[in-house]
Amino acid sequence: MRWLLLIFYVGSSYATDTLYLYNWNNYISNATVARFEARCGCKLVRDYYADNEEMLAKLAAGASGYDLIVPTGNAVEALLRSNQLRPLDKTKLNNLGNLKPEFLNAFFDPGNRYSVPYAYTVTLLGYNVEKLRALNLPTDTWALIFEPRYLEKLKGRVTVLDSQRELMAAALRYLGYSANDADETKWQQARDLILRAKPYWAAFNASSYIKELTVGNIWLAHGYSSDMFQARADAEKAGRPFHIGYSIPREGAVLALDSMVLHKTGRQPELALRFIDFMLEGPNSAELTNLIGSGNPNQAAMRYIDARFFQTNADNRAVFPDASAMRRLEMLRDLDRKQRRVLNRIWTEIKLR
Amino acid sequence: MSETKDNRLARWAITAPPTLFLLAFFLVPALIVVLASFQYPGEFGGLAPLFDHGDGREHGLTLENYRFFASDFLFTEIFLRSFAVATASTLICLVMAYPVAWLIARSPKRHRDLLVLLVILPFASNFLIRVYAWMIILGPQAALARMFNGVLGAFGLEPVSLLFSPFAVLVGMVYVHLPFMILPLYTNLEKHDPVLLDAAQDLGANAWQRFWRVTWSLSLPGVFSGSALVFIPVLGMFAIPDILGGTRDMLIGNLIKDQFLGVRDWPFGATLSIVLTLCVLALAGFAAWAGKARRGGA
Repeated sequence: MRWLLLIFYVGSSYATDTLYLYNWNNYISNATVARFEARCGCKLVRDYYADNEEMLAKLAAGASGYDLIVPTGNAVEALLRSNQLRPLDKTKLNNLGNLKPEFLNAFFDPGNRYSVPYAYTVTLLGYNVEKLRALNLPTDTWALIFEPRYLEKLKGRVTVLDSQRELMAAALRYLGYSANDADETKWQQARDLILRAKPYWAAFNASSYIKELTVGNIWLAHGYSSDMFQARADAEKAGRPFHIGYSIPREGAVLALDSMVLHKTGRQPELALRFIDFMLEGPNSAELTNLIGSGNPNQAAMRYIDARFFQTNADNRAVFPDASAMRRLEMLRDLDRKQRRVLNRIWTEIKLR
Repeated sequence: MSETKDNRLARWAITAPPTLFLLAFFLVPALIVVLASFQYPGEFGGLAPLFDHGDGREHGLTLENYRFFASDFLFTEIFLRSFAVATASTLICLVMAYPVAWLIARSPKRHRDLLVLLVILPFASNFLIRVYAWMIILGPQAALARMFNGVLGAFGLEPVSLLFSPFAVLVGMVYVHLPFMILPLYTNLEKHDPVLLDAAQDLGANAWQRFWRVTWSLSLPGVFSGSALVFIPVLGMFAIPDILGGTRDMLIGNLIKDQFLGVRDWPFGATLSIVLTLCVLALAGFAAWAGKARRGGA
């Protein structure tokens, strides 16, 4: 990876400065990038990941030279505790006050010494509105993906995330436990719940559920709010005879807060701070929400966000949860290596049986 | 004498680059994997250090990963399932590829290059795109699934899903690896001298005997290399079960990939890779031994 970055580096050395951003796929608007490049007179080079674990694996394998990364909370925790992050010089961050207080001081970085909230998604249920209504099913409970009495009507039309932590979190919340509960007996209860429901599911799916929902093959999917937003937009654009909706199950769900952090191997910490401050400006931050329907932790961004996000309906409550919904959302904590192995065995069993 | 010296120099010059390449990019990484399988996982991913840094972290070598593998039959079961899928894919590929390879080898010379080109043509597009195409072909909205379920319905049976099933995984495996079976079979069958078949006929062999005793026997090296080219990649494949598989289609490739890209357990991923490599080597050794015994006995 180092040599690859080097090629980029040499190839783009005509530009004055180059900032390397390692970000989720489709997680910044091209307009925002162009505006930043114009303002700083520099070049923003982007590299992408589809999963926190993919990003962590690449860094653990020795990838370097990324100035900025946008990991989710538990991955920030892993990076921070393995001493890979650079503390922020907050005197350079004039717009820090724009952030909503409820997104500051998260467990992974009290005092926000290393991380600045960027955007968030909620892991929830997306569904085919007309189908679920015709089947007379509720839309706001994990029972939909776990209870055979509902699943019988949905057999082969359900996908769940191909993610140990996310699926266990849903099961644990449904059983009335914390999504972060790492007690093995509770994990086993969750496993039993999952194994009972599994015969009704079509697949473990991490990426193609957007398309499957849009096409109408799948009627109910466990996935991320921003993906459901895209599925709904795609179905509308394709003129499908149905709509895609999404809502946060009442038992509670996982909140994934993605934050901007500086990697120690980055060569442009000053420029990276300028980027963070730039992204904290209301219009720039709002642009991402308008593009992909991500939640926005920035108060100053609210007036630039499309009016459709503020119409009262379940979908919007998932993008901007009210205080009571917020209390039922949990951020995932990183597991230690022993816990990871226990969960690994349980997960393999889930996959095999 | 100087000629042999030149020869030796030339031989060295030709063989050194690939040898060095294999040493650097095959042997060294393989040894790293062996070493990793005896290390502890790092607390936050990667590997724990080999030497004590005085910070209380686990370090050094351990058999823990192999013990973890042996502690639950679960992991062995995934191996067995993967071997079953690989065997089935190889056999289906063989049955499908043999007539195709034979037809190409027997077609007029001016057509052969074109036909071989057609076999290779799918490689012109990306493998993932071709597998994604199967999602559409096997999807419930597609004609294939509707026809199939129409037939099932006529017999009063429940409709089934073709996509996200072991069937879809097998279709994907066979589809992707079929050319790897056709090509070695073709290169083998093309070299057969038709005169042999005439001779066999003159000596009174019927069609089946001519095929079994002459063509099939002579094509065995092609069958073996084709089977190896299909069996081994299928064994390690993770993308096809990921894309086309349902809720029970985890194979060993998926499990290994998960250790590196899902659960940050590199040492266990390395352990699984080593066990897989040993299984394949044992199988190859057995095949070689069986081949030798067969030739010896004949």
